[in-house]
Amino acid sequence: MRILQLAFLNFRNSFKSYLSLVISLSFTILILYNFQNTIYSDAFAVLGQHNKEYINMLIQVVTIVLLCFMFFFIWYATNVFLTRRKREIGIYIFMGMTNQKIAMLYMIEISFVGITALVVGIGFGALFAGLFQMILGAVSETAIDVKFEIFPKAVAFTAVAFLILYLIFACKGYWNIVHSSVLGMISAARQNEYVHIKNSILLLKALVGIVLTTVGYYLANKGGRYKVMENLLLAVVLVIAGVYLLFGGLIPLIFQMLLRNKTFLYRGQRCLWMNQTIFRMRKNYRTYAMVCIMGICSTTALATGFAMKERYYNMIVFDNKYTFQLLTNQPNLEERAAELIQKETDIVCQTSLPVLSPDASHLVVSYTDIIRVTNESGVLFPLTEPLENETYYLSYQVLMSFILSKEVQTVTIGNDTFFQAGIVREPCLGYMQREMGCFYVVSDSTYSRMKEYSTMLYIHNYKIADNAAFERARTAVDVLISNTDENFTARVAVDPFDNGLEWIKVLHALCIFMFLVFIVAGGCIMFMKLYNDSFEERERYLVLKKLGFSTQTLTKSIAHELISAYVLPFVVMAVSTYFSVHALGMVMYAELLSVYIVSILAVMIVFALCCIFSVSVYRRNVGLR
Amino acid sequence: MNDTKVAEIKNLVKSYGAKDFQTTVLKGIDMCIYKDDFIAVMGPSGSGKTTLLNILSTIDKPTRGMVMLDGKDVSQISNKELAKLRKDKIGFIFQDYNLLDTMTLQDNIALPLALDGVPSKQILERIKNLAAVFDLSEQLRKYPYQLSGGQKQRGAVCRALITNPEIIFADEPTGALDSKAGKDLLHCLRRVNDSGQATILMVTHDPLCASYAKDVYLLSDGAMRCRISRGNDRKEFYNKIIDLQASIGGDFL
Repeated sequence: MRILQLAFLNFRNSFKSYLSLVISLSFTILILYNFQNTIYSDAFAVLGQHNKEYINMLIQVVTIVLLCFMFFFIWYATNVFLTRRKREIGIYIFMGMTNQKIAMLYMIEISFVGITALVVGIGFGALFAGLFQMILGAVSETAIDVKFEIFPKAVAFTAVAFLILYLIFACKGYWNIVHSSVLGMISAARQNEYVHIKNSILLLKALVGIVLTTVGYYLANKGGRYKVMENLLLAVVLVIAGVYLLFGGLIPLIFQMLLRNKTFLYRGQRCLWMNQTIFRMRKNYRTYAMVCIMGICSTTALATGFAMKERYYNMIVFDNKYTFQLLTNQPNLEERAAELIQKETDIVCQTSLPVLSPDASHLVVSYTDIIRVTNESGVLFPLTEPLENETYYLSYQVLMSFILSKEVQTVTIGNDTFFQAGIVREPCLGYMQREMGCFYVVSDSTYSRMKEYSTMLYIHNYKIADNAAFERARTAVDVLISNTDENFTARVAVDPFDNGLEWIKVLHALCIFMFLVFIVAGGCIMFMKLYNDSFEERERYLVLKKLGFSTQTLTKSIAHELISAYVLPFVVMAVSTYFSVHALGMVMYAELLSVYIVSILAVMIVFALCCIFSVSVYRRNVGLR
Repeated sequence: MNDTKVAEIKNLVKSYGAKDFQTTVLKGIDMCIYKDDFIAVMGPSGSGKTTLLNILSTIDKPTRGMVMLDGKDVSQISNKELAKLRKDKIGFIFQDYNLLDTMTLQDNIALPLALDGVPSKQILERIKNLAAVFDLSEQLRKYPYQLSGGQKQRGAVCRALITNPEIIFADEPTGALDSKAGKDLLHCLRRVNDSGQATILMVTHDPLCASYAKDVYLLSDGAMRCRISRGNDRKEFYNKIIDLQASIGGDFL
């Protein structure tokens, strides 16, 4: 029999054991293909070129993240698979096959798996492409144009990216088998010797892990004016390394210490499941760490998604606070402009305030005026009156900022220097506040003093009732625009139908998808691991059954063991996510605690479902049903 | 001899296979086990020794006949009650030890009691006593892979004894041991039996192993052929077993 035939026969006969690998690989291919397909399709063209470009850029970024994820996922899946298959194919050694030939057999078998996964992944990807775009549109609340189309470029990109990554790990497997000893190969799947690791080594690992994660959390939340981005990236690396060491050191150390305390251990099923957990820990800690990191990624993505959506609405509300705004040196223009607008539509909100222009780049508002205007427009001004030498900067809602300095800055306005005692992000002056970015609030007495050497200007704000009358109202107001020294009047008009920020909603949808991808993948990895473990445990549970332990007792022990397998990564993830979401809140200038809680609850539900399913399958596989 | 019956089987029949292709492995066996008995069941390969042990230890079910354990007919009670019976009344010793390699010897021995909710202080006390009897005090913290075959099997005996079972079933307990380790184990078993701590039923093909028992039953072709008792001299008993084995013939494995 030729080696190709043998490989095909093996693939056909053990398809059931290949199934989990094929499904998991197909899943990653399906996701990658769908994102690529979205780039080439014109689904988001309805949002305009500007938005489409932004969305494509976002999808490119997501693609890079997905490729990284695919890399690790293939690495993990092929590794688990190699260990399982090694023992079976190792038997060919006794038939006189060389390591090279066995490795070649593995390569061909795994190529069948890869090709099957690719065909299934792209096939289902093409089938679900329309659905994917519809969901993307629904989650982002965007009316997109869904068409069923297959784009050869998307197929080619997905296939090439997958095959390159897959080939790397197939070659790694080849190399691994070629360099394996006979004994190593046939005993690969059955390593029942728990090596009790010295406490000093575990302690060292645990300490380094704690230090790395703490420094990572610190750097992520440090803020500052410079190097915020670098700090965030370094924090990611440190937290990943730290989490690995926590699972490789701290958790085994705690378990080993608990195992020594027999008064604690000899209570109910503890003796059984804790021993099982620590026994598995040596082999499984990388999996726990990986699932934990995926959990951190997914919750952070979800939190980003929620925050983006909230920010989108805040920015829309901010910009649309007023439809028209006039900046003028004419004190009597307020009512005239109102009359012109009212000819076309009613005004639901009208405010006006004087501002000082002490120099070319600052506009100064008195505290009383800003309080009056915000009260009239239904906005709560968050700060009390500033001191003589203090000022508040009227800022705006940003998507993200990597300048996070908390130092008190000084600002020179006209002839005076102030401490900038606060930043206000409430929409006090709407679009003009964001666009001009030069408004400062000072105390009433300072305002009076500055009046002496400043030019007096007026801002008039109007919010129209009927958005359909926007164009007509704008034309009407435009007659007031003037740019002479005696009569300076500038106009700001905010189109209520402008969709320039729609891409943020798509970003929200993409974040939700990333959450799903990571959490489903994390759940799958954990499930696959426990599924494989259950086959190794079969004999052990057979013995326990023979010894007379009831199915109920053993089921409880399994439930405890599996719950701990899910809870450990969940706890580390929950703590880490708190800091990552906090860091996100800092760069987005937002309070994300509720978002954090919702994200954690979402992961908890997914993990709980996976756990229930795992317990059920595990029970069946170890023969307790 | 103690008159308390621990187990009793009457007209035990066990068949395997479909209706038209049935093989009868046990053909109407009667046996009575009293407290403090130490019985060895011998027989050639395929005689039904392991089947008999499996049925007695409630792992398998009889086709016909009655098996009484602790005053209950095991064929009439639910699986839950059977599991409880196995846990509380029966101790097992297997040929391949069946210690869990995920835990230390001490945890292996403690497991039945820990799962049963016995206070940890009491468990530790009992382990200490048993480990001293079986010379395992120094080995308690080790994992099974760090122990010799003899130590593992003595550990398995400790695990079987820790619940103070009514009866211990041993399936070829010395099968995987060298002669020295085998002898040590049998001495230990005899010692616990003599001290009234255990009633033992052992299946073996080894005459030397059987000679440590008080009574030897010879099973051949699914039926109990004869029974011999030890008397005072083990060597003489051993010779009797050899003679009996030769008279029956067959492959004693």
